[in-house]
Amino acid sequence: MQKLISAIVADIGKVLLGKDHQVKLALACLLSRGHLLIEDLPGMGKTTLAHALAQVLGLSYKRVQFTSDMLPADILGVSIFERDSGQFRFHEGPVFSQLLLADEINRASPKTQSALLEAMEERQVSVDGETRPLPEPFFVIATQNPLHQSGTFSLPESQLDRFLMRISLGYPTREAERALFLGADPRAQLQQLKPRVDVTALKKMQGLVGQVKASESLLDYLERLVLHTRQSPECAVGLSPRGALALLHAARAWALIHGRGHLLPEDIQAVLPSVAGHRLQSDSHGDWGDGTQLVERLMRQVDIIAA
Amino acid sequence: MANQSELLPRESLLWIFAAQFAALLPHFAQLPLWIVCAWAFAVYWRLEVFRGRRDLPGRTVKLLVVGLTVAGLALSYRRWFALEPMVALLAISFTLKNLELVSRRDAFLSLLLAYFVAATLFVYEQTIPYALYGTVCVVVVTAALAAQLGHFSARPRRALGLSLRLLAQAVPLMLLLFIVMPRLGPLWAVPQNNSGTTTGISDSMTPGDFTRLSKSDKPALRIAFDGPIPPPEQRYWRGLVYADFDGRRWSQGFGVDPREGGVVRWQGREQKLPEVGPRYRYRVIQEATNNPWLFAMARPISDTRGVGETADDRLLKKRPVYNRFAYDVRSWPRETLTDDRELSDFEYRRYLQLPRGGNPRTRAWAEEFHASGLGAEEISAHVLKYFNRSFTYTLKPPALGADSIDDFLFGSQQGFCEHFASSYVFTMRAAGVPARVVAGYQGGEWVEQEEYLLVREYDAHAWAEIWLPGRGWQRVDPTAAVSPERIRDGLQSAAADEFMQDSLLQLHRISVLNRLRLEWDMINYRWYQTVVSFDSDKQENLLKKLLGEVSPLRLAAFIAVPVALALTGMLLWLWLSNRGRRLPPASRLYQKFCRRMARAGIARRPGEAPRDFARRVGIEMPALAPMVERITAAFERAAYGEDPAAEKQLRRLLRQWSPRANFVFGRTADGGRIATGE
Repeated sequence: MQKLISAIVADIGKVLLGKDHQVKLALACLLSRGHLLIEDLPGMGKTTLAHALAQVLGLSYKRVQFTSDMLPADILGVSIFERDSGQFRFHEGPVFSQLLLADEINRASPKTQSALLEAMEERQVSVDGETRPLPEPFFVIATQNPLHQSGTFSLPESQLDRFLMRISLGYPTREAERALFLGADPRAQLQQLKPRVDVTALKKMQGLVGQVKASESLLDYLERLVLHTRQSPECAVGLSPRGALALLHAARAWALIHGRGHLLPEDIQAVLPSVAGHRLQSDSHGDWGDGTQLVERLMRQVDIIAA
Repeated sequence: MANQSELLPRESLLWIFAAQFAALLPHFAQLPLWIVCAWAFAVYWRLEVFRGRRDLPGRTVKLLVVGLTVAGLALSYRRWFALEPMVALLAISFTLKNLELVSRRDAFLSLLLAYFVAATLFVYEQTIPYALYGTVCVVVVTAALAAQLGHFSARPRRALGLSLRLLAQAVPLMLLLFIVMPRLGPLWAVPQNNSGTTTGISDSMTPGDFTRLSKSDKPALRIAFDGPIPPPEQRYWRGLVYADFDGRRWSQGFGVDPREGGVVRWQGREQKLPEVGPRYRYRVIQEATNNPWLFAMARPISDTRGVGETADDRLLKKRPVYNRFAYDVRSWPRETLTDDRELSDFEYRRYLQLPRGGNPRTRAWAEEFHASGLGAEEISAHVLKYFNRSFTYTLKPPALGADSIDDFLFGSQQGFCEHFASSYVFTMRAAGVPARVVAGYQGGEWVEQEEYLLVREYDAHAWAEIWLPGRGWQRVDPTAAVSPERIRDGLQSAAADEFMQDSLLQLHRISVLNRLRLEWDMINYRWYQTVVSFDSDKQENLLKKLLGEVSPLRLAAFIAVPVALALTGMLLWLWLSNRGRRLPPASRLYQKFCRRMARAGIARRPGEAPRDFARRVGIEMPALAPMVERITAAFERAAYGEDPAAEKQLRRLLRQWSPRANFVFGRTADGGRIATGE
């Protein structure tokens, strides 16, 4: 299992150079059946990461470029009257795929955004009064441009909460960029990636995540973290129970990726910025910085061993 | 102009009005109506400003309003340096402040003023309901202060809750200050309105006065005894002596009242105390009467400031009793005293005075006694016997004609104390025995739980004193000859059918209500005893009782010890509530390890994971690295892998190892004795 995961990470690392940590986070997100939000500038490799993940894990992959004039039907699908059969037939939208890349989700209108986000949460789509289940596994990677860019509708907090993790890729290191310059065309390399697992193996891996042991001491630490976000004057809103659960799941997946049968505090710390960063808000004045800074302080302040 | 952050939040405006209303409400009854109207109008104007319909008044309007109010005050109050105009001035300044309530600063000023106005309430009234209302006032004003932050804080529940919490926290401090804060005497005498009607017994007695008193069940005196308690037939609380009779009205006569030059021995003057000790020591708490006379048993001496004794064995206060007043009395029954008993010529004339004409039958009857050469006591016995034979005690006597004594003695023969006392003294005087009418209270209800005697207005009574040569003044109660139960059991049993008959509801007939009223009186009594009358003497006594002696050191200790105890308690509570449940053993072991590492000079940061810490140790103190590595691994397995074997291993590793010596007992594999490089 450990070998398999290392191989997957290495494979993706071939096309997305020097971003092992983010690749592992994305993988952890997928293994814990969560959805991923990547927030970064254009051209940082968001699409590459999504595509590579789909390739390596052998998932059916669709990509939707969100625009401001998009309608929910463009994602979910639409029933069309067919003259031959004299009946309405449902044409599935791009959401009926195993890995959906929702590119620049914040360019779409809130109506369209919420159509996708509902599908993410329910893992099913209701069109024309008929409920259709989405394929299993179903994994959404949404990308978002930083909010200060013009012509965007930022996702509201309630919808941000639907994403298990929010990560950002960041600029590559000098070595990675040099390697990028010297190496072959990433697009071609992407095509060469072979699936390492099939859907059943992936499901089995997802099942293993739940078996990672979380000891009393570790749950204590988790409780202290969550409690701190709720009691500290720095945070306007603390972590919800869903957020706390997400943290635990993601940390389990992280531990599994690192080949451990039990959770360590480091696992929680590793996923904490990605899981809690978009869920925490500073108080109204913004005195305490954004979510990322809050998480940093949170990690520094909460004692791992004892209260 | 005030900048935005200093501007008054809109929600807090209503709070300020609420606080003003609460503080002013009890004063509304006393203030002239126009001030109440002005307040309402100012509030209305400010609300109009709040709704954006009107502007705040300009300078001209303000000046005009100030001029108007000053004129109004001058017209309403003739006297300036008295209490009411000062309160009115406060109220009006409060009102005017509303017209320029713009910034936070104004709001704070207005609210601090509200505290002050709320405090002035106690100048008038110090009873429990007012104290409760004062507390409510303080809560509302504090809530208004809390609401000044606006928005969220201005919500009623939150503001009031915060205010209550703050005040509750202040209660211990308040109690401490109540006990130790030096009690200053009044720095200046506050002139009070003394036009208020007097209550209780007045300085003259006309027929019908006591009927009025018998209809009131208000408390008049509360008397607590230190030592023996007089039996019911001795409980005569003398207040006034009437010497002058004009045929209808008994009055004190000229030269008795100190205002008319009467001689009063004020307390503090050197005076000779009787050789024997006093029989009764007691403390009287007297309700406000707006009269200067006090009530005590003969013969009283009081050490209370401002109280003096008169020549006719009464107590007087220098200034009228405008508020509830407590005084300590020692009483010597007359028969225990052996001072010279001589009446001066003036006194003889005074106590034998009779109107020029009228009541011929009584005079003739008395003349018979005089002529037959009987002694004073025998005459008295005859008269009392006459009363006893054919008189009835009733609160509703028939009206008497111009010769009232004649009509009573030989006509109606129905009446109550004032009739009996009046006709008795008249007869005695006519028979040549010096006599006088004494008015005051007789009896009282014994309150068992609190051990005090409650004397009500309906216990008002009039009796007589006659002069016996060689023995001095002797009390004679002609009412006792007619209705002994009046003296023994009080008015209620003596005139059961007539008692309080005119009152709307016959509440005194319901025993539960009577009990409740007694309980309420008891609470009031205790309130007055412990809170209101807590003056510098009582304070010193209490402190002496608590501390042994009053020295600055002990006082400081008295303040510091409770504070220290409270703080320690809070600290303990915080510590205990923070500690939560015990840590699992592996974590405790790891903490021990961390403490050792800290002593060795490298401390784990709170958010630093064990593995990260081990890595840092590896970099900063490479010599320790292998062992720290092993301990960390064991801890991780024990704490997070929940492996009992790892816990044992961790325990063993820690027992053998110390980072300072880096010495592993009984093991050479880890390098034995290696200097740690400290």
